[in-house]
Amino acid sequence: MLGTFVITWRETIEAALIVGILLTYLDKIGQSSQFRLVYWGVAWAVAAAAAFAGLSTYAAAFFQDTGQEIFAAAILGLATVVLTHMVVWMHHNAREIKGGLQHKAKLAIAKRQLWALAVLAFVGVFREGVETVLFVWGLFLQGGAGQSVGLAVTGGFLGVGVGVLMTWAFFKGFGHLDLKPFFRVSGVILIFMAAGMLATGFGHLIAAGLVPGIVEPLWDTSWVLSERSFVGSLAAGIFGYRSHPSLVEAGSYLLYFPIVLGVLEFQRRLHTRAA
Amino acid sequence: MRNMTRRMGFCAAGALALALGTSAIAADVEERTLTIKDHAFSPAEVRVKAHTKTKLIVTNQDAAAEEFESPSLNREKMIRPGQSATILLPPLKPGRYEFFGEFHPETARGAVIAE
Repeated sequence: MLGTFVITWRETIEAALIVGILLTYLDKIGQSSQFRLVYWGVAWAVAAAAAFAGLSTYAAAFFQDTGQEIFAAAILGLATVVLTHMVVWMHHNAREIKGGLQHKAKLAIAKRQLWALAVLAFVGVFREGVETVLFVWGLFLQGGAGQSVGLAVTGGFLGVGVGVLMTWAFFKGFGHLDLKPFFRVSGVILIFMAAGMLATGFGHLIAAGLVPGIVEPLWDTSWVLSERSFVGSLAAGIFGYRSHPSLVEAGSYLLYFPIVLGVLEFQRRLHTRAA
Repeated sequence: MRNMTRRMGFCAAGALALALGTSAIAADVEERTLTIKDHAFSPAEVRVKAHTKTKLIVTNQDAAAEEFESPSLNREKMIRPGQSATILLPPLKPGRYEFFGEFHPETARGAVIAE
């Protein structure tokens, strides 16, 4: 029961972190009326994950070859783009707030950005959802190793529930931060998540044999942090940590930072000139 | 109609590329098979040639999905019930590389031994 609890709990936290940032962000800019967009994204993701996990049982040929990796890489690529868009947009709004808009508390949100919110909620949940659905479905069929089906399934659902509650509690506290530190902290979290998604996407393409890893592995940091430890598995799920990354994975991870910082700087100059 | 011919052209080109690709790889890739049954891998130890690419074909005979995971090989792949999955391993230095089933880590454990 504990084993199944830990797995679903971890997957839930990974997914709920993005959702939590989105909701807190909307709340902070006085747009809590847009919560439903995020909830819609989540609901669609859960339904899509269940449908996908169910259908994939019948699409054996696609999954036993490299289809699984290509699909995952496509989802992660999309996630990286949307997340980057979100970071740039939040950063921009943070500047507007600094410029004295804070008392109005309401910032206009363009259609395009609303769309990005829903997509981000969808991708964040779908990514973890497929795995969780397959796992919990397996529990229904067989139970965990050496335990009853009932206990295993209960553990699985408890994991999801506790994961949601804990993330909610975390954002209750986190949400009390002032606007500026909130933007800064969540911006940094999102940038690391995006870098992790980009590198993980490349990891899937390498695993599929479509992109060379060039040096595999580049280094071994399992003596510092192993993915098999609890902290390591969270770091892997949230920030894309790998103890034995290939050159291309580590390179794409590290290159993401100057790229996104460059975009932010470009945007800053654009606005200073305009102002 | 023109669309159709173009699409067929793409398919043919894709198939050709695939055929060329596979034949080019086939020459220097070793193949190993692995079975998951009752949440355990058999064989639990897979010997592969060091410095050579390996294609690991894992068949899941259980009714539940399993995720093949190995930090040291930097690979993880979901294997659905009753299905097989191919895991490509890069050329490895001699050594022992542990793997496990993420959904049943207590029983599903094994290692690739490159020598």
